[in-house]
Amino acid sequence: MAEIFIDNNRYEFEGPTKVLQFILDQGLELPFFCYHPSLSIPANCRQCYVEAGQPVMNRETGKYEVDEEGNRVIRFFPKLMTACSLDATDGMVIKTHVTSELVRRGQKDVLEFILINHPLDCPICDQAGECPLQIQTYKYGPEGSRFEHKKVHKPKRIQLGPRVVLDAERCINCTRCVRFTEEVSKSNQLTIVQRGDKNYPVTAPGTEFDDPYSINTVDICPVGALTSSDFRFKARVWEMSSTPSLDITNGKGCSVDVWTRDNLVMRITPRHNPHINDYWMPDAGREAYKIYNENRISRPDLNIDGDKVKSSWNNALLTIAENLDTVKPSEILVLGSGYGSVEDNYVLGKFFSVLGQEQAHFVPNILAGTGDNFLISDDQAPNTNGCRFLGFNELKPDSINKEITSGKYKTIIVLQEDIVGRNLITTQDLSNVFMVYLGTNNNDTSRFANVTIPVTTAIEHVGSYVNVDGRVQRSMPAKETVYTDRRINLEMSMGRLDHFGTRFDNWVSDKNKVDCIPAWEFFVRLAHEMNKEFQYNDVREIISEISLTNKHFSGVSYERMDNELGIDLVNKQKEELNLA
Amino acid sequence: MEKFEFTKEELAVIDEIIAKYPNPQPAVMPVLWMAQDKFGHVEPDVQKLVANTLGLPESHVHGVATFYTQYYKERKGKYVLDVCTSFSCQACGAYDTLHYIEDKLGIKAGDTTEDGMFSIQSVECLGACGYAPMMQITNDIYVNHLTKEKIDTVIEDLKKDKLPEFEPIPLVQNREIAQEK
Repeated sequence: MAEIFIDNNRYEFEGPTKVLQFILDQGLELPFFCYHPSLSIPANCRQCYVEAGQPVMNRETGKYEVDEEGNRVIRFFPKLMTACSLDATDGMVIKTHVTSELVRRGQKDVLEFILINHPLDCPICDQAGECPLQIQTYKYGPEGSRFEHKKVHKPKRIQLGPRVVLDAERCINCTRCVRFTEEVSKSNQLTIVQRGDKNYPVTAPGTEFDDPYSINTVDICPVGALTSSDFRFKARVWEMSSTPSLDITNGKGCSVDVWTRDNLVMRITPRHNPHINDYWMPDAGREAYKIYNENRISRPDLNIDGDKVKSSWNNALLTIAENLDTVKPSEILVLGSGYGSVEDNYVLGKFFSVLGQEQAHFVPNILAGTGDNFLISDDQAPNTNGCRFLGFNELKPDSINKEITSGKYKTIIVLQEDIVGRNLITTQDLSNVFMVYLGTNNNDTSRFANVTIPVTTAIEHVGSYVNVDGRVQRSMPAKETVYTDRRINLEMSMGRLDHFGTRFDNWVSDKNKVDCIPAWEFFVRLAHEMNKEFQYNDVREIISEISLTNKHFSGVSYERMDNELGIDLVNKQKEELNLA
Repeated sequence: MEKFEFTKEELAVIDEIIAKYPNPQPAVMPVLWMAQDKFGHVEPDVQKLVANTLGLPESHVHGVATFYTQYYKERKGKYVLDVCTSFSCQACGAYDTLHYIEDKLGIKAGDTTEDGMFSIQSVECLGACGYAPMMQITNDIYVNHLTKEKIDTVIEDLKKDKLPEFEPIPLVQNREIAQEK
């Protein structure tokens, strides 16, 4: 095995690797700006300087030369090397800022150069708190600047595209955004213009930065130059808490972090998952904060003579239980959904099979031609495959209308599927049935349903979702409902405000908590109301029951989903065969 | 709106240029030159034409065109006076020269006179530090060792469409020999 010595410690490495990436893989620290593991390496920020040397080999004997004390003679490169572009070789000796005064000096001087024209207004910059330039200047930078001249002024607040705003003065020209559009999204929309101290990234004249992945450039921008027009100046990073979750607006189910403050989702950023989305996500997925925050159903609604009336949970339960008592099991149409989690759909199916209706259905929401073979799929729902694996009957979008108007059904139970809004059926056709809608947001279906039950969104409960490639991931609660408390539920993360704020602070508001419960919990309550044997105490009971009874989900657990960044359910058996 | 196009013959030349390189990217600079020779400028529409001809993203061509002051991103005067204001010239009074020309023509660096005769640009090093302060006229002839009198004559001559003559400047070590001759 090849060896490398970093700051007098010996490490072993295999295969070709760059020194910077190897250092980062060991959990060591080396400052850098322009390097990104998923992009090409231009080595233009010069921040990752190290001293590097190789042992001197005697070509005749083929052995390393040694000095009087028996140590290898090391021949150092004459100048500092950028670790990001330096290939690790056997016996290489690296000195970073930990051991080398020269490297410390180099890092300091590079930062002084970068900061010559960079505005020093961190307190009003949107990136402050999560800014590599700010952090590294504190750690490795000079105490002050020797440049007493006026800074070069460049354009500010340029609307590059519908979702990205540029502040050219803050840009340090690392070219990460340009390389992203060239290498990852392949739209080639950005370029660096001008030269010297006047340069900054911008689109070609007459074009706009409307790449469907444009906000990823905001994430990888190491300074506050690129900001999201939606999120800019909305919240400080240290006020928010972040929770791992997944994208629910698309079948790809990109891994994301959900950032909340006072139980409002402020932004959604991609989370590194090499199996699904690498470091990226489509812009559309970031709009999901609107689903979580706005237009939510809170408390059950009853439809009384055409008017929607807020009701109590007990009243809603009684109304539904009464109706279910009067119809035969075969007269109930159970409609699951790719928008609901595996657990919710499973409990829905299980509850009605206890009542006698064995078959649940669902209508996939697949818009052919909208996908791009990258991170946007034709499938609009995050859990279509989950419904398939649970054995739900897949209805074609045009056949549900026929099913309902056939008169076979008197009651339909709809879980999170906006059947009216999707134009699957008209309200006219629904007027002869009793419809219960379990949903998260007000929509055409919820407005028409006889009873509307508010259920939790992906970020208010623990739920598993199976993406288009058959990979199951789970969400975690990030936003409190009226019935959950992040101080008690240890699965919820706490930001500074959550830790140190009190409910009497003026930035804390109870109205951001929605009065809703997980759909599975609702069916447990309903069973109780109807005196049926049907009990789950915890969502973990449900997933372990699914993993024991459903062959698709065998061996699935939340611990595995967390540790393995999701589990591939389709190729699982193949992998197991290979192991044997 | 003015339409920019390459003729068949020009396209053949461009194909030859592209064939010299493994990919079309390096052809951007010579093709921009061709375009500037033909149209007198490389405005965004011309950049777009170059990009489409070479099958490259517009942004890439835009980046190259804006990098060099020698490409004119907007319509310029008949004579473009590129006054070097890099360090060596600066030390020898480049800004005095620049301001003198500005005052004389009544425009600022980057602008064009109303009659469309002159544009002034303040540019980076033109590699003639030994003859500082200096300027270049329309990407062509160098005028060295600028003085106020010299500027006056050059501008008067240019108004009559007379370009200054090439002025050989011997290396310092050869200067005495040159003077003897």
